[in-house]
Amino acid sequence: MIDTILYGLTIGAILYIFSIGLSITFGTMQIVNFAHGMVYSLGVYLFISFLPWTLRIFPLAMALAIAAMLPVAYLIERFIIRRLYGESLDYAIIATYAVLLIGADLIKYIWGTAPQPVSDPIGVPLVVLGVVIQLYRVVVFLSAVVLFFALRIFFTRHVIGKIVVAALEDRDGVRALGLDVNKYFSIAFVIGSGLAVLGGVLYAPITTSEPYMGFHILLLAFAVVIVGGMGNLTGTFISAFVLGMVIAITGRVYSSAADTMVFVVMALVLLKNPIFSFVRRLRGRPAHG
Amino acid sequence: MLEVNSIDVAYGHAKVLHDVSIKLNQGEMVFVVGRNGAGKTTLLKTIAGFLKPTQGQISLEGQGISGLAPEQVARRGVRYVAQDKKVFSDLTVKGNIELAAYAAGEPLEQALARVMSLYPKFKDFLQNKAGGLSGGQREILLIGRALVGEPKLLLIDEPTEGLAAIVIQDIFRILSGMKETVSGIIVEQNLSVVSRLADRIYIMKEGKIERELTDPAEIKNTAELENYL
Ligand SMILES: Nc1ncnc2c1ncn2[C@@H]1O[C@H](COP(=O)(O)OP(=O)(O)OP(=O)(O)O)[C@@H](O)[C@H]1O
Ligand SMILES: [Mg+2]
Repeated sequence: MIDTILYGLTIGAILYIFSIGLSITFGTMQIVNFAHGMVYSLGVYLFISFLPWTLRIFPLAMALAIAAMLPVAYLIERFIIRRLYGESLDYAIIATYAVLLIGADLIKYIWGTAPQPVSDPIGVPLVVLGVVIQLYRVVVFLSAVVLFFALRIFFTRHVIGKIVVAALEDRDGVRALGLDVNKYFSIAFVIGSGLAVLGGVLYAPITTSEPYMGFHILLLAFAVVIVGGMGNLTGTFISAFVLGMVIAITGRVYSSAADTMVFVVMALVLLKNPIFSFVRRLRGRPAHG
Repeated sequence: MLEVNSIDVAYGHAKVLHDVSIKLNQGEMVFVVGRNGAGKTTLLKTIAGFLKPTQGQISLEGQGISGLAPEQVARRGVRYVAQDKKVFSDLTVKGNIELAAYAAGEPLEQALARVMSLYPKFKDFLQNKAGGLSGGQREILLIGRALVGEPKLLLIDEPTEGLAAIVIQDIFRILSGMKETVSGIIVEQNLSVVSRLADRIYIMKEGKIERELTDPAEIKNTAELENYL
């Protein structure tokens, strides 16, 4: 039971860290950004390549992978996402999905299709109430909690955070003050992308990495963002852990249904809070950027 | 200082402003009145840079601004207060003022003092979420936010709409206090407010400027103005 709970908390932590950027892009730009999965998987592959060069110092390879992906994220924002603002929702899906596919092909081309395992960087088992659990998973969970509070401080105290919060609600109001919202969305986008890589790297020792890993987590993360409310970062945190627990508990009972249950929960949330309002919010954006 | 020169504005294919020209002299407070759907909001939005005219020009102090993005127009000293009374409700009252101060490059303390001089009660809820403010307080916060950084030109869309008589008095007091220091174009349907504050009035109808009133006697005559609404 304890290991199931811990597994749920670990998956919840990864989903949360990955979903932040997706939620911000949904909320600010009203764009469904599949490219987030590309940043995530390419970042993890870079991390795996950096590991031997950095004498297997996990945090160093992780920092390098994140740093390497930030300029890529910037370019995606500047040349793809920003141009899609105010265009039809379908264009955004097609264009960012293309980026996701290109990423998967690039990974296959460079690293091949074989799954890439990463060993647990801590490798310290703990015995809690007679059950063996991995300290690493506790660390992953705690990282998400720390991140949650760090982001809260950023969004409530730092002026850039406040600008993003204000723009999530009233983009035109921010522009009318003389602030170039694109610049702040770009900063938020790059931070969110860096976090996607962080989530992917933290997840690498728990799973095995493969070229299509970005597709899988994206689907789960869309459920997280929809359940948590687009652009609602506290909601994202809670829903990531709720869905993480759903995956862990379902997985224990009947493992092939684990992911399906996530979408059952999402469907229930959408039934209560009709999908029409979700689609309307995406469609009802202004025609003028 | 501001010249709007025969502009046409459309939403997609629907043209809503036809050959509109207005001008504003330094220090003037000009009001725009007209029925619902006359195009008043569209006119302010276009000056603020949120809509682009398909024909005609807009110039501020002799420089063309009709091709600029809203944030660029704002940085040239134009502040637009929209009709919907939408504040940044997830931020505190102080946070709302802070963003305006940051954008305008004005020290926060000065910006806070400026807004509180309009409405001293804000002192008690600086740390409250702005979403909890009443409609009148929101409007005052929006006007205060717009005054941060001493803009050259204020564009305010229906500041008293939907407010109780007593709050309208507050807004009236604030607008008349600004009268000597800033130039403004204000859309307003409350004719008693309009007639007491206006230097000139433009009357809009079906996307056109129907009349311009400059004679003080005409401006004071609310019964006559009523005919245009
Ligand atoms: N986003 C839009 N898309 C299409 N048409 C619009 C849009 N906004 C306004 N219109 C139309 O443009 C015309 C002018 O609208 P506008 O909002 O400028 O009027 P208004 O004078 O401000 O009215 P009100 O007194 O109701 O605020 C109206 O016919 C309106 O239906
Ligand atoms: Mg209007």
